Amino acid sequence: MDALLATLVSGLVLGSLYALMSSGLSLVWTTLGVFNFSHGALMMVGAFVAWTISEVLGLGPVVGILSGTLAAGLIGVIIERLLVRPFYNNRNMLLITAMTTLAAMVILERGAQMIWGARLKQLPRLVPGEVQILGTTISAHEALLIVLAPLILVALWRFTVMTNRGRSLRAVGQNQDSAALLGIDVPVAFALAFGISAALAGLTGALLGSIRFITPTMGSEPLTKAMIVVIFGGLGNLGATAGAAYLIGFIEAFLIFGLGLYWTPFVLFLLMILVLLFRPNGVFGGK
Amino acid sequence: MRRLLDITGLRAGYGASRVLNGLSVHIDEGESIGLFGPNGHGKSTLLKTISGLLRPTAGSIAFDGNDITTQRPPAVVAAGLIHAPQGNTLFGNMRIAETLELAAFSKRAKAEATRRIEEVYVLFPRLAERKQQFARTLSGGERQMLSIGCALMCAPRLLMLDEPTLGLSPKLKEELAGAIAKISKTGVPLIVVEQDVEFLLSLTDRLYMIEHGEVVREISSANAPDHEEVMRLYFGAEGAH
Ligand SMILES: Nc1ncnc2c1ncn2[C@@H]1O[C@H](COP(=O)(O)OP(=O)(O)O)[C@@H](O)[C@H]1O
Ligand SMILES: [Mg+2]
Repeated sequence: MDALLATLVSGLVLGSLYALMSSGLSLVWTTLGVFNFSHGALMMVGAFVAWTISEVLGLGPVVGILSGTLAAGLIGVIIERLLVRPFYNNRNMLLITAMTTLAAMVILERGAQMIWGARLKQLPRLVPGEVQILGTTISAHEALLIVLAPLILVALWRFTVMTNRGRSLRAVGQNQDSAALLGIDVPVAFALAFGISAALAGLTGALLGSIRFITPTMGSEPLTKAMIVVIFGGLGNLGATAGAAYLIGFIEAFLIFGLGLYWTPFVLFLLMILVLLFRPNGVFGGK
Repeated sequence: MRRLLDITGLRAGYGASRVLNGLSVHIDEGESIGLFGPNGHGKSTLLKTISGLLRPTAGSIAFDGNDITTQRPPAVVAAGLIHAPQGNTLFGNMRIAETLELAAFSKRAKAEATRRIEEVYVLFPRLAERKQQFARTLSGGERQMLSIGCALMCAPRLLMLDEPTLGLSPKLKEELAGAIAKISKTGVPLIVVEQDVEFLLSLTDRLYMIEHGEVVREISSANAPDHEEVMRLYFGAEGAH
């Protein structure tokens, strides 16, 4: 029983992490129709910037996390401007932007290696101490992640459904000309979607930086998991993406518990291929 | 008389293919105009160029005395020049109410949003009955109403409607024509593209016939040609190209 509850809680932590990552991917997909392969690297940038501001400059973890979020968002806007927007309206846009965002990932990872070196780094926890959830002890910082993730998701959902600025992102994704004729600035919507998505990745990285080690490649594993999530949830629906994120979190936690770390990715990718074969629009998606 | 819209020598097209060949039209203060002519001769292209979706290669567009030749759509909309495009499908995964609220996007439109949304629902009760319905599930007529409704939410100072009754049943067509006449009576100047010349004659002050991206004829509604002549104009033109 204890082991089961502990597994549930660790699934919840993983699910929160994946939800934050995949909601950003989903936002960029619904607005621009692009899959951003540099999303994991943006997460890593958030973690490193947070570490530098907090530990090197000594401004503390809160200022650090905010700076990491902001820096990642800014770099996201730059990536959109330089590596995505020029290929808009190109027939092979999806393929080209897959290549250019992969290039951005490599540049960011090598850049981080040059700036921060390979030595492992870690941020102090935002909140000290431990808490009990379902009889399982986890760090208060992980508990914060569990609480923060749904709050951020709800805020993001409210933004895209309740505000005109947020709605404009969905509108641009569905019909650019009609959106433009309502006075919506399409390039601004692109930049905003990319910026918010990247900022979310940066925030996730900064929060993860006190749970895992900060390294130049720390984003690649969460990115592959987020990819599995969006395939499970179907791209483009925030609710379904969030649901799938927690589902994958739980599945992964139980697989680790039952099969061990070694076989878990293997089974996850097998599941992903099965979903692609039999439910190509995701487990929650329509036909 | 003051010109609300003044277009001179406009050339535009898609890539290498030129559609508008030095076209000139204008609207004086207080009037509405109609555009007609055979299909594929540049009426929609003209409206797209005015609203900034297409960039002209030559000529000029002035709205209310300001040059807007190279303005992008957000600036054109902000100035109050609003375009409801032909066959506008809007946003399939958005609900009616949400779409109308979004349409009041510019600062000027936002200030009037509450009043205008009520007016749209009075003008199109069908939309009021379906506020939570997704745009993709609407019938052709309802979609057209939503498109015009959105244009009204943009707080138009000049409204361009591209074939607002295209493909609709006679009954629905009449309903929409009535709504457009009501909009015109509230004092909003119109540019209407339609195949139905008689409808245009009853609605607007002047008509331009457009062929091969040029104005080939200008008709004043005051001394309009009779039905037969209109038919001859139309089908004569259709047969000629
Ligand atoms: N998006 C487009 N790309 C390329 N050619 C187009 C496009 N839209 C229209 N055209 C062409 O431009 C010409 C004029 O079309 P249009 O302005 O839609 O005519 P109308 O509205 O008078 O029926 C046609 O030959 C049409 O095929
Ligand atoms: Mg047309």
